[in-house]
Amino acid sequence: MSFRRIRTLIKNEIFYGPKDIVLVMSLVIPVLLALFFNLAFGNIFNDRAALGLLDKGDSEMTTILQSSGSISLKEYYSEEDLKAAASDGSIDMGIILPMSFDDMIQSGNAEIRAYTWGESLIKHRVMIGTIVNDAVHEMSGSILPVNIEMIALGDVSEVPWNDRLLPLVVLTAIFFGGMMLPAASLINEKNKHTLEALSVSPATIGEIFTAKGTIGAILALVMGVLTLAISGQFHSSILSLILVMGLGSVMASQLGLIAGAYIKDMNTLFALWKFGGLLLFGPAVVYMFPQIPQWIGYIFPTFYVIKPVVDLTINGLGFDAIILELLILIAIVAAIMVGVNRIVSRLSNQALRLS
Amino acid sequence: MNSRIIKALLKKDVSLFLSNRFYFLITIVGLILYIAIYFLMPSEVNEELNLAVYENENTGVFSQITGEEGINIEYFSDKEVLRQAVMDGDYHVGISLPDNIIAIWQAGEKPDITLYYSSSTPTEIRDAMVALISEIAYIQTGQSINYNISQEVLGTDMAGAQLSLRERMRPLLAVVILLMEILTLASLISVEIEQGTARALFVTPMRTSDLFMAKGILGVGLAMAQAILFLLLANGFDHQPLIILTTLLLGSMLVVGIGFLLASLSRDVMAVTGWGMLIFIILLIPGFGNVMPGLLSDWAKVIPSYFLTDTISRVVNYGAGWSDVGINLAILAGLTAVVIFAGMAALRRRYQ
Repeated sequence: MSFRRIRTLIKNEIFYGPKDIVLVMSLVIPVLLALFFNLAFGNIFNDRAALGLLDKGDSEMTTILQSSGSISLKEYYSEEDLKAAASDGSIDMGIILPMSFDDMIQSGNAEIRAYTWGESLIKHRVMIGTIVNDAVHEMSGSILPVNIEMIALGDVSEVPWNDRLLPLVVLTAIFFGGMMLPAASLINEKNKHTLEALSVSPATIGEIFTAKGTIGAILALVMGVLTLAISGQFHSSILSLILVMGLGSVMASQLGLIAGAYIKDMNTLFALWKFGGLLLFGPAVVYMFPQIPQWIGYIFPTFYVIKPVVDLTINGLGFDAIILELLILIAIVAAIMVGVNRIVSRLSNQALRLS
Repeated sequence: MNSRIIKALLKKDVSLFLSNRFYFLITIVGLILYIAIYFLMPSEVNEELNLAVYENENTGVFSQITGEEGINIEYFSDKEVLRQAVMDGDYHVGISLPDNIIAIWQAGEKPDITLYYSSSTPTEIRDAMVALISEIAYIQTGQSINYNISQEVLGTDMAGAQLSLRERMRPLLAVVILLMEILTLASLISVEIEQGTARALFVTPMRTSDLFMAKGILGVGLAMAQAILFLLLANGFDHQPLIILTTLLLGSMLVVGIGFLLASLSRDVMAVTGWGMLIFIILLIPGFGNVMPGLLSDWAKVIPSYFLTDTISRVVNYGAGWSDVGINLAILAGLTAVVIFAGMAALRRRYQ
C-alpha cells in the first residue's frame, strides 16, 4: 500500500468527489439536531431567569450571583449593552451595581438601578428579586435563621431530556456522515464506471477503500466533536473522547465501505440506512427511555461507542471507567476490519470488476 | 405575454406537481403537520410560581408574599395531601412549616422547614424557592435589607399578558410553510430541465416571459395559499390583514426568486433537495429569534427572510401598523426584486 497514492486519492475525493445530498446532509443534519435539542430542551423549556449584571466597581455580589444555580447570569461592561440586552429579551432584567456598592450596603444606603424586559415573565422577575435579596443578605453577613431540608418526591432518578437525547445526536453525527459518505462515494463510482478507470492506474482497491474510509472517518470525528461542543459536553476528558469517537468513526466508515461494496444504487443505500438505523441507533433509544432494561443496550455494537461518551461527558467519569468498553470497541473495529479486508481481497481477485 | 399560453403552462405544472408524489405529499402532510404543531404548543403562559404551604396553625409567615404578583400560595392542613399535590405536579414546591415556628424564632433558634419538590421540578425553581424561604425568614427575624432598587421596564410591559409559545411560533411556522415551496418549485423546474421538456417548450410559440410568469404564478399561488390557510386557522388575520397579505405576497415572490436560483444552480433533483434544505435552514434562522427573543444578533438581518418573519411577528403578535413595518416591507420588496431578477437571469441562462 502506497501512502503517497492514498494521499492523492484523498485529495481527488475531496476536490473532485460528488458534493451531493449525502454530503450536505452529513454536515447539516447533526448540527441541526444538536442545535434543535439544545434550544428546545436547554433554553425554550427551561425556567431559568436571565439576569444581566453591570458591576461598576468590584462588588462581592458578582461572585455570589455567579455561583447561583437558579439564574443565568450574563455580565456586561457598558450600560448601553445591558440596556440593549434588556430591550431585545436577551435578559429578563439587567442591574447596575454602582462603585463602592459593598460599602453602601454596609452603611445602609445602597441603590441598584434595574432595566426589566417588558416581556419577561412575572415569576422570573420574582426569582431575580429573591436571588438579589439573598445575595445582599449574604454580603451583609446575615446569619440564615432557618434550616431548610429538601425532599424529592416521586422518581428521583429522572434524567433531563437534553441528556437523554445526547446519544442520539452523537450517534447521528458519527454514523450518518461516517457511513453514508464512503458508501455513497463507492456507489457513485460504480454507477459512473470510474472505478474501472482507476483500476488501470497503479492504485489498488485497498488504497481506494482506505482513501474513502479515511475521509468518512475524519468527517464523522469532526461532526461528533462539533455536536458535543454544541451540546456543551466537550470540555473534559478531551483526549479520551477523541479516542472513543475516533474508533466509532472508523467503525462507521468500515460499515459504509462494506455497504458501498455490495449496494448498487442510492435508493437501496437509503433503504438500508432506514433499516440499519434501527440497529445503529438502538442504544440511543435505550438511553432515551430508562424504563427499557439497560442490558439490551449491550447487544448493539454502537453501544460501545456511546456508553463511554456518555460516561465521560454526562456522568463525568474518567478514562479508568471506560477501559472495558474501549477494549470491546477495539475488538469490534478489528473484527469489522477483517471483514473489510476480505471484501477488498475478493474484489481485487475479481480483477476489480465491481459493477 | 400570452395569457392562453400561461394558462396552458400552469395546467401542465399543476399536473406535474400532483403527479410528483413526494412533493405533493410533503406539501399536504407538511401543512397538516405545521397546523398540528401550532395547536399542540401551549396556548397559555404559566407566569406564576405555585407554592403549597402546610402549617398547623395560622402563623402568617407567608403573609408578606401572599397575593404578591407572580406568586400563588395555597395552604394545606394535611401534609400527605400536600405531598400528593406536589407529586401530581399541581405545585412547583411544597413547604412544610413546623409547629410553633414563630415561638422558635422568638427564642432565637432556627426552625426546620421542609421543602418538598417533584423530581420534574427544575433545579432553578428549587434553588429560587430556597432563596425565597430564606428571604421570608430574614424578614420574620427583623433582618431587613438596606438597599433600594429602581426599575425601568423597557418596551411594553406585558406582565400578565405574555405571548404563549404557540403565539411566538406562529410567524416561524407561517414562514416555514412559505419556504417549503422553494423546494417544490425548484424541483419542478429541475425535472423539466433534466427531462428536456423545458427545451422542447421553446420550440413552441411560448416566450421566456410566459414561462417565468407561469412558474411565478404557480410558486406564489402554492406558497401563499398554504400560508393564508395556516394564518386563518391560527388567528393571524385578526389585526391588519392587509399588511399580512402584502407581506405574504412579497414573501411568496421571494420564495419564487430563490426557487429559480436554486433550480438554475442545481444539477438534478437530488441536488435541489440537498442544497434546498441548506438554504431552507439558513432562511429559517430569523424565525427562531421570534420563538426565543434575544437569541439572534444583528447579523441575522443579513438573511433576507428576517424582514419577512419580523414583519409577520410584529403585526400578528404586537399589533404593529403600516408605519411600524413600512421600512421592513420596503427592504423586503427590494430584496425580492433583486432575487427575482437574479433568479430569472440565471434560469434563462440554464434554459439556453
